[in-house]
Amino acid sequence: MGGGKGGVGKTFLAANLAAALARAGERVIAIDTDVEGANLHTWLGVPSPRASLADFVAGRVQDPLDLVVATSLPNLGLIAATHANHAAAQPEPARREELLARFHSLPCDFVFIDCGAGAHPATLDYFLAGDECVLVVHPEPTSLENAYVFLRAAFFRRMHLVMQKHDVRERVREAMDPRNPRGIQSPLDLLREVEGMDPEEGRRFAKSLRSFRPRIVVNEVESAEDIKLGFSVRSVCRKLFGIDADYVGYVNRDPAVREAVLARRPLVELRPHSDAAIYVGRIARRLSEAARESAG
Amino acid sequence: MRPLPEQDHYELLELPRDAGRDEVERAYRMARSTWAEDGLASYSVAGPSELALLRERVEEAYRVLSDVDARSAYDEALGALASAKPIEAEIDFDDEEEKLPAELPAEIETFEDLSGPEDGRWSGASLRRTRLARGLELEQITAVTKVKPVYLRCIEEERFDALPAAVYVRGFVTAYARCLGLDPSRVASDYLERLLAVRPLHSERRRPRARP
Repeated sequence: MGGGKGGVGKTFLAANLAAALARAGERVIAIDTDVEGANLHTWLGVPSPRASLADFVAGRVQDPLDLVVATSLPNLGLIAATHANHAAAQPEPARREELLARFHSLPCDFVFIDCGAGAHPATLDYFLAGDECVLVVHPEPTSLENAYVFLRAAFFRRMHLVMQKHDVRERVREAMDPRNPRGIQSPLDLLREVEGMDPEEGRRFAKSLRSFRPRIVVNEVESAEDIKLGFSVRSVCRKLFGIDADYVGYVNRDPAVREAVLARRPLVELRPHSDAAIYVGRIARRLSEAARESAG
Repeated sequence: MRPLPEQDHYELLELPRDAGRDEVERAYRMARSTWAEDGLASYSVAGPSELALLRERVEEAYRVLSDVDARSAYDEALGALASAKPIEAEIDFDDEEEKLPAELPAEIETFEDLSGPEDGRWSGASLRRTRLARGLELEQITAVTKVKPVYLRCIEEERFDALPAAVYVRGFVTAYARCLGLDPSRVASDYLERLLAVRPLHSERRRPRARP
């Protein structure tokens, strides 16, 4: 779950999508990577997790499986991001890579990774680690502004990792700066640039661009207009970025959500028949189908 | 997906080659709203001139695809598929049907699995979910049914106390359901059951008449 802006509902969705699938019988682990603003544990009703990502960062724990704590749902484990050492909150890049690789081998059916706000390289790496990358937006300009910056940054980072030749990687790196001298703005600009430099890398780029399918969720919709926004954002991604985004659903503004956070319990558990829980359930089904499909 | 400058009218409007009239209309309205001046979706990623250019292309695509002759000439030029549905065939007005409030076409690709009642019984919440899954605002329902938005909202929120006598509610719900393309009698009977459970029949005499 990413989205760039804080407060759009990433953590709410991570917690409740994870809880919805756990309630449907899947084995799920929800991971908070927002070391600067850890909240996922609260949404899941775990007030003070005994272990957290901070223990991995500090080297006290080597295996992320040892960080998993129980939640109120039997099928749902949590890796929290509490008690971070703010002198060095995120793992070093090499250690981050190791961590992400281990996320993939956690013994469960689904892993939900909750990203913090902003587009720090660590945040982008967590976002890109998913088989499905969910972009959460709120129907307001501030959210969209940050979401597009985030998506662009995530995409460019992905390409930096995918490209193999040094000069091409350097060009991708340059392009990460929106004021780059070559005027590369969108993923499509970058594709043309890479194709011009090296046809083989160009093909690799095009392939990776095609397989990058961020899933859009619009949170706190209040009208049909807000719902339509998801389709429009999808069009913007397709037309202006060349990114084949998908619109997986929306969640309405529902007082039950506030009730759930005040009760420090997952909404889908506290109020399973609320409107918002029904919308969350639908997104959970769509995402699990998509993830199963891409995992073959 | 081809780059934007190379996209044909179908790709621009994100339509399949055999899209029918309704689909073209819907895609056109959606594209107009996506690329509107000061539109929310393009905020911070497209400037006024880029948006104006896109709108021009959208208008041109719509002009061609919504006109039978222009479209078939265009299809021919594209070397298009012979499978395109004849677009006139969809206009099928029945005189009798016209007296009743019509079904409103969905404004978006329907979120099909959000339409319909969760537990097999219709309620205010499932009506609202169905309406939103079709991309419709309450005002659009009002335009067809002539039922005031305030009543429609009360129906959706099941604020039974604020609703008029049951006989009117039945009429409102019937019209609303028909507008969404649902089975009106089934929706109305499920809904009335919920209403009467909270507001028993013997209290009905004191209910105000509706002023739709």
